[in-house]
Amino acid sequence: MEPQATPPAQRRAFLLMFAGGLGGLLAMAAGWPLLRFLAPVAGAGEDQQVTLPRSTVKAGAAHFFQFRGKPAVVLQPKPGEYLALSAVCTHLGCVVQWQEGKGEFLCPCHGGRFAPNGAVLAGPPPRPLENLPVAIVGDQLRIG
Amino acid sequence: MTGRILILVVAAGLLAVAPARSEVPAETVCIQCHGGQPGQLGAPVKDWPGSVHQRNGISCHDCHGGDPTDFANAMSPERGFIGAPAYEQVPEFCGRCHVGVLADYQESAHGRKVAAGGAQCVICHGSHAVQEASLDLINERDCSRCHEYGRAAEIKTALTETDARFATVSSQFERLKRLGVNTESLNGKLFDLRNRFHRVFHSVEVEKVRAETGGVQAELAEIQVQVDQFDRQFAQRRLWGGAAVGLLLLLGVVLVQVRHTYAEEERGE
Amino acid sequence: MAIVNQLVEFVDRRLGVREIFDKELRGYLLPRKVNAWYTLGAVLLTLFGLQILTGVLLLMYYVPHADQAFASVQRITNEVPYGWLFRMLHAVGANVIVIALLLHMLSVLFMASYKGRREFTWLTGFILFNLAMGLCLTGYLLPWSQLSFWATTVATEAPGAIPVVGDLAVEFLRGGATVGNQTLGRFFALHVVGMPLILLGLIGIHLFCVKRRGISPPPFGADYRAVELPDHFTYEKHPHGIPFFPNYVVKDGAVICFFLALLLGIVFFAPGLFFPESAFEPADPFVTPPGIKPEWYFLWAYQTLKIFPSELIGLGVQGAFMTLLALLPFLDRGPERRPAKRPIFVTVFCLSLLIFLAISIWGHYS
Repeated sequence: MEPQATPPAQRRAFLLMFAGGLGGLLAMAAGWPLLRFLAPVAGAGEDQQVTLPRSTVKAGAAHFFQFRGKPAVVLQPKPGEYLALSAVCTHLGCVVQWQEGKGEFLCPCHGGRFAPNGAVLAGPPPRPLENLPVAIVGDQLRIG
Repeated sequence: MTGRILILVVAAGLLAVAPARSEVPAETVCIQCHGGQPGQLGAPVKDWPGSVHQRNGISCHDCHGGDPTDFANAMSPERGFIGAPAYEQVPEFCGRCHVGVLADYQESAHGRKVAAGGAQCVICHGSHAVQEASLDLINERDCSRCHEYGRAAEIKTALTETDARFATVSSQFERLKRLGVNTESLNGKLFDLRNRFHRVFHSVEVEKVRAETGGVQAELAEIQVQVDQFDRQFAQRRLWGGAAVGLLLLLGVVLVQVRHTYAEEERGE
Repeated sequence: MAIVNQLVEFVDRRLGVREIFDKELRGYLLPRKVNAWYTLGAVLLTLFGLQILTGVLLLMYYVPHADQAFASVQRITNEVPYGWLFRMLHAVGANVIVIALLLHMLSVLFMASYKGRREFTWLTGFILFNLAMGLCLTGYLLPWSQLSFWATTVATEAPGAIPVVGDLAVEFLRGGATVGNQTLGRFFALHVVGMPLILLGLIGIHLFCVKRRGISPPPFGADYRAVELPDHFTYEKHPHGIPFFPNYVVKDGAVICFFLALLLGIVFFAPGLFFPESAFEPADPFVTPPGIKPEWYFLWAYQTLKIFPSELIGLGVQGAFMTLLALLPFLDRGPERRPAKRPIFVTVFCLSLLIFLAISIWGHYS
């Protein structure tokens, strides 16, 4: 049997250095996700808001737009009164349409009807349209 | 076995105390009466079970009106009964719910000719044994009953390829869902798109269908981009994960080697 | 490293830490022939620590209410940076802990480490095992998916077979007649605070028992001798043994690395292993998905209940088995620890293991 060239203590020192390096790498690999998880997300809590000029929404009319990636609608059922809702029908997910003459929403997929405040008037939808907070800021509307 | 029975009992118990989805008993009076009748009066009772309407909880009174719980007044106009529509009234009958389709249909060649016997809903979809619309409804045998098949064939071709892409994207959503991705809004988008797409057929105008197909395919491509983004993300995670696993294994091996150096010294003592 | 030395010196002058280190770590001598199975304790400590860390992180975003639980978990998985990672580490980690627990128990049984006046170590270990199962059961409900809801319904239905108090027991577990928000509330409290506190306390006692009595050597090899114990307490000495620090710590470290590699391997390359389809559907109390069954470590109990004609007998059999296991050191009194010299025990051991595996596999496919 060949005698070991390097004494175990010496090998151990090298191995421990190597292990230390690996451990450091792993610690960084573990620390990064931890840090990112805990770090506050830019603009979190308030999420993105959408601002529109008041003139976009005429009295009795509705304006459709994208809100946080989903279809939404803002309407002015009575002059000066603004409402914002999700435009996604609560039945199966189609986008509702505004019927200006009737003053209500109609879903083209299975005929669901919603009142301007989102309440279900008729048809298969199980829940009202989700209401979104809308505030009047000067001559702008801020939704969200 | 006992466990299975127990689960059924628990489920049945829950169903018994839970509020019914609609206030309608499992078997309406409509079915109870018409079920025993011969010929045309009894046929719907055989056709309706297994249909897309039945599977979504839509029963006789949802279309025909009337009271499904009261034998005496089941077909009373006061309870909203409107009976079976005449041939040319069928589109409006179905269009009370299928609003978008009605709009497209009424502008179409079929819609404008319905009083003269043009094709209406029931001709292609059936009246009670209705299933989800599929491209097989467009076929030579059925469409050439009134006119030559050429244009219908062109429309079907335009639709077929896009439908296949819908199916592919849908199955990709299923795969992503199994990996934890929240596919709810993606599914909603796809559903909306597919409805818009299927609806346009009813205009039976080749150019209109082709234009809509182009638009739909573009939107599908956008959705596909989102799916691909997810897949890239997962591939990247696997890369980093693989590296971490490798590092851990290596560290373990190095520590085993360190142990061996100690073992050597222990043996030497 | 001079600064490290200065720091150590500072603390040592005030608390005498060097003395403790020299006595309890460097001076703590283990038998020379300890095998890899002895590292499982350290592995379990690390994995439990990881569960606590990932659990606290998940707590920052999880909402323990039936209306919001599922959505909050989806948010963690889809929106919170690296939320998916900590969620998966926690869920898969739980399963790896059960694997390590079973291996730890099996090696203790095989090497008869419960002998030699180590009954308290065994008993605390047995309770810890049951606590871990309880943590797994309560944790399973929290995502409020179809799988969570119905697996919990099935699992909490079982005590109903006990005569007289059965229904009361089920209602106590669920906080009501059926699984609902009130179940989520108590399972959450138990999972996050109640059980972890008891777990930490018991781990402390378990480790104290281990350290106080001393490590038992593996019962293998020609020079193994059964020790005759005097009438008073003794510490099992190993005067020519290997120091825990640093000689044995590196071995613990190595096996810990391998287990973490296994954990990460599953998280990244087999993420669906412990997640069937129903884990991604929100709970619906009116629709039972097909093929609901408990997680793999409960399959033996589930299948046992199904085999026997009456659920009560099934429960009784399980109860008897667990009681026998708990009281093992009081039943198996002989000083002999070598497996070769304990044919009855080894036969029962192998048979039980085979039956456990067979019943679990049967439960999976039935």
